[in-house]
Amino acid sequence: MTSRLSIPGSAAAAGSPAPNAGVALGVGLAGTALTAAGFFVSDPRRVALSWLVAVGYWTMIVVAMLMLVLIHHIFDASWGVIIRRQYEHWLAALKWLFLLFLPLLAISAYLRPGLIWLWMNPGSLLPGTHETVGEDILYFKKAGYLNVGFFTLRLVLFFGIWIWLAYVVRRNSFRQDADGDLKWTRSNRCWAAAGLPLSGFAITFASIDWFKSLDYHWFSTIYGVYFFATGMRGALAIGVLLMLWLHRRGDYRGILNRNHLHSIGQLMLTFTVFWAYIAFSQYFLIWNANVPEETFYFNLREYGDWYWVGMSLLFLYFAFPFCYLLSYRHKVEPHWARFIAWWILVMLFVDICFNTLPAARDAAGHPHPFFSLLMGWHFTALAGVGGICVWAYLRSFSTTKLLPIRDPRIAECLSYQEASAE
Amino acid sequence: MSEAVEAAVAVPAILAEVKPAVLPRAVLVENNRSFAWISDKICGIIEGPTPRWWWICFGVASFIASFTVAGLIYLVGTGVGVWGHRSPINWGWPIVNFVFWIGIGHAGTLISAILCLLRQKWRTSINRAAEAMTIFAVVCAGIFPLFHVGRVWFAWYLFPLPNSNGIWQNFRSPLEWDVFAVSTYGTVSVLFWYVGMIPDLGLLRDRFTAAGKRVRAFLYGLFAMGWRGSNRHWSNYEMAYLILAGIATPLVLSVHTIVSFDFAVSLIPGWHTTIFPPYFVAGAIYSGFGMVLTLVLPLRAVFKLEDLITQHHIDNMCKIALATGSMVGYAYMMEFFIAWYGANPNEGFTFINRAFGPYAWAYWTMVTCNVIVPQFFWFKGVRRNIAFVWILSLLVNVGMWMERFVIICTSLTRDFLPSSWGYLSPTVVDIFTFFGTFGVFGTLFLLFIRFLPMMPMAEIKAVTPQADAHHGHH
Amino acid sequence: MSEKSYGLIAMFDTPADIMQAAEAVRDAGYKSWDVITPFPIHGMDRAMGVRRSLVPRISLAGGIIGFVTGMGLIWWSGAWNFKLVVGGKPLFSPLFAFPISYELTILFTAFATILGMFLLNRLPMHYHAVMKQAHFQRAMDDRFFVVIEARDPRYDRAATEALLARLGGREIEELED
Repeated sequence: MTSRLSIPGSAAAAGSPAPNAGVALGVGLAGTALTAAGFFVSDPRRVALSWLVAVGYWTMIVVAMLMLVLIHHIFDASWGVIIRRQYEHWLAALKWLFLLFLPLLAISAYLRPGLIWLWMNPGSLLPGTHETVGEDILYFKKAGYLNVGFFTLRLVLFFGIWIWLAYVVRRNSFRQDADGDLKWTRSNRCWAAAGLPLSGFAITFASIDWFKSLDYHWFSTIYGVYFFATGMRGALAIGVLLMLWLHRRGDYRGILNRNHLHSIGQLMLTFTVFWAYIAFSQYFLIWNANVPEETFYFNLREYGDWYWVGMSLLFLYFAFPFCYLLSYRHKVEPHWARFIAWWILVMLFVDICFNTLPAARDAAGHPHPFFSLLMGWHFTALAGVGGICVWAYLRSFSTTKLLPIRDPRIAECLSYQEASAE
Repeated sequence: MSEAVEAAVAVPAILAEVKPAVLPRAVLVENNRSFAWISDKICGIIEGPTPRWWWICFGVASFIASFTVAGLIYLVGTGVGVWGHRSPINWGWPIVNFVFWIGIGHAGTLISAILCLLRQKWRTSINRAAEAMTIFAVVCAGIFPLFHVGRVWFAWYLFPLPNSNGIWQNFRSPLEWDVFAVSTYGTVSVLFWYVGMIPDLGLLRDRFTAAGKRVRAFLYGLFAMGWRGSNRHWSNYEMAYLILAGIATPLVLSVHTIVSFDFAVSLIPGWHTTIFPPYFVAGAIYSGFGMVLTLVLPLRAVFKLEDLITQHHIDNMCKIALATGSMVGYAYMMEFFIAWYGANPNEGFTFINRAFGPYAWAYWTMVTCNVIVPQFFWFKGVRRNIAFVWILSLLVNVGMWMERFVIICTSLTRDFLPSSWGYLSPTVVDIFTFFGTFGVFGTLFLLFIRFLPMMPMAEIKAVTPQADAHHGHH
Repeated sequence: MSEKSYGLIAMFDTPADIMQAAEAVRDAGYKSWDVITPFPIHGMDRAMGVRRSLVPRISLAGGIIGFVTGMGLIWWSGAWNFKLVVGGKPLFSPLFAFPISYELTILFTAFATILGMFLLNRLPMHYHAVMKQAHFQRAMDDRFFVVIEARDPRYDRAATEALLARLGGREIEELED
């Protein structure tokens, strides 16, 4: 006996078509155009970094959705079937994210070399010093890795891996709707097993290339895992919002039940703790050894208002969601669940900023403050990239059935019971 | 939340189209065994006479355990110098052994706690034995930090107890954190294991009572706490079990994290790297699953438990070993890459030294056993070959011991100044004390399988299809 | 031995049977009764009308006490009682105090959970009337029982026995206290 959600209000007919994807496209194009304008009228370096934050934000989320789909297949899970199809639709955004990344490469490698990634231009001045990249022994030692050609090759490789995996899982899932053949499930499982390590490597080296190399003196072996963790939190938050949106539209009436929300809520709690674990490990080990070649990274992030940004990550991205998600009601009741999902998405943005923006420093070598008028470009960029991702999702949404109707685990999913039901 | 039925809600049309492809889930208990069969099978091991092979194994295990006892007596009587520690390698075999055994214990908690939270029902056949493995592994692990202090009668100094020395413990030291972590881990593991056993002890009490064996009924009954299967009790019990599983999960992650902090909070090249915590945890789970396979496969054969520990269980254990082994491989690659990327000459040298220096033999053994061996588990044919899986499980643990050995020895013997380089030679006492711990472990485990229910009967019954109140037949 | 009756006990054979029986007994308005099973049956709590367990609250209290104890001990010993600079680290930092506090949180939560569970279950209780049932061994093995206590206001020797028989209970016995 499933427990139905009762949500007053909308009596939208079940299975109504997706809202006009054009709106999302409009927002996306407007955001992109505004940001492009900002690049010319405002501080180009900081606007370009805003764009990097936005592309990084959405890419980490969408790649984490890919990981969730792969993990679902490899665990032969059942309850996840309810959200898997929606994640598969979101994966359509990956090719657009690749295109949206290219301006960053074009700018930093060719048009204004070294504007974003200093090492792309041997003449770039290291922040706060009179030394250039070309004179820096620490650059010289890693020039074999940090050069434009190899960077581009890796960029294509990472997106290639993700786009290929996305194509395969989407194709298998959509084709299975028609014929219910188990070969699609088996194919998914095989590709998931191969895809998880590949995708993991891609996330790791993408985060190293795009974010860690902004400050190429610094290094940390756990960096890739950190971005995996934070991306997963975003993907799960969007999953919750999607499920509740579909329920409100009527599509998921009689399909979504409290146990699904509880399970995804528990995953959100788990990844909250996991993220905190990774963040703590990274910070604490560097704090304890107190070696200047590593600690400078965090010292930068204690300057000015960045200290408060860091504290906000501790209290608002970990402590508050952790305590909030411990409660059963907060996970299963729609308005509570929606609140924490939005909260996490906002704080995820702060997290990405914390990791990347302090690379933009003034002449004295201090990072530009987080709070400034130039923050507006973050929002235009997020809207720009995000609008296009949502457009890609909605376009894909209307091409298939709402649920994977022939999936072998869908019956278990629809009648999903908690193991320890009251 | 109310369960009000909305008026006139149209059931989504899509539900009519749902027609899942048929892919049955693996059966957890094969041959449709009844509840009584499960009870008889497992209790039978305890109620029946002690088999001869048990006595032989017990004798051998006790003999090997005596090496540890002898080694420790000699150590306490003579001094810590009987071990191979010399400057510069002030941490040698004992800490390797400690991390090795603690790591093995982690799989037991993973199986009990983490798989419980993930609702993986297949864990029920192996979780009791795995939890026992954890406890005995912690006992073996604890021997080393306890005795490495030399003057063991002062070991209580490690705890913040009132004393006349007028000084506190150094709470900034990861070794002190280890004291708390391992004590907590041991305590919680024992409690979790015991609480899980209460219903089964109740069953054994009643069976012995019915069979007229009063002494044994009394002993088992004492620990059964008067358990009588009341559902009101089950309600609290299940909640307590779930909470214990919920806290044991972060506990197991934290214990090996804190163990990794022993190394990572320093600034020694090869040790100070941020990925150590999750890397150590993944490695611990990997070695633990190797040990679980080493123990469970022979037990399954000897006690004819194929219906309860099925090929599906073995497949899953192999796959987890594969996954965690791959995570360890990932960590190796990240360490190596960042050692190059970070351009710290000491760090870079450490990694070249690991692969081509005096400990290259250990390094390549480690890589073979930790990166290459688990890749065999990709193949279904391999997973079905029980003997081969058992051999691979032994190699898993060889590899994991080597890993800790490599981490410790390569970094300490070749650190910053060449004038202080050295080489570790373990002494006879080192070697005998370590190999003796396998005997200690074996002895305890043999006692466990002889006298205690080695599978949680209540949990296994609960995951059979007959246990479902909405099961087909009435 | 007093002749006071503890209540009635009836045996059932399958989980489905006992589930239906439990629902019926709950609907008949009994309050002092119980179901005895060899393993926890999924959904039985709802069938009996039993509320969610209180163990989590006790666990939470234990956890908070553990965390505060850890942080408090380390702060007091290092930054108040015997100030000593070690390794250039500050006298107190939540960072280095965290591992121990975390472990104590877990340890105290475990103690609280288990003690709480025993207290709420009123265990150990090595003697109980139901254990006198002739086939009680089957209760821990593969049979299921409903027991209705005599102290329940709706208890009536004949009517309750008839109810249990109607629900399919076998071997209905009266238990001595």
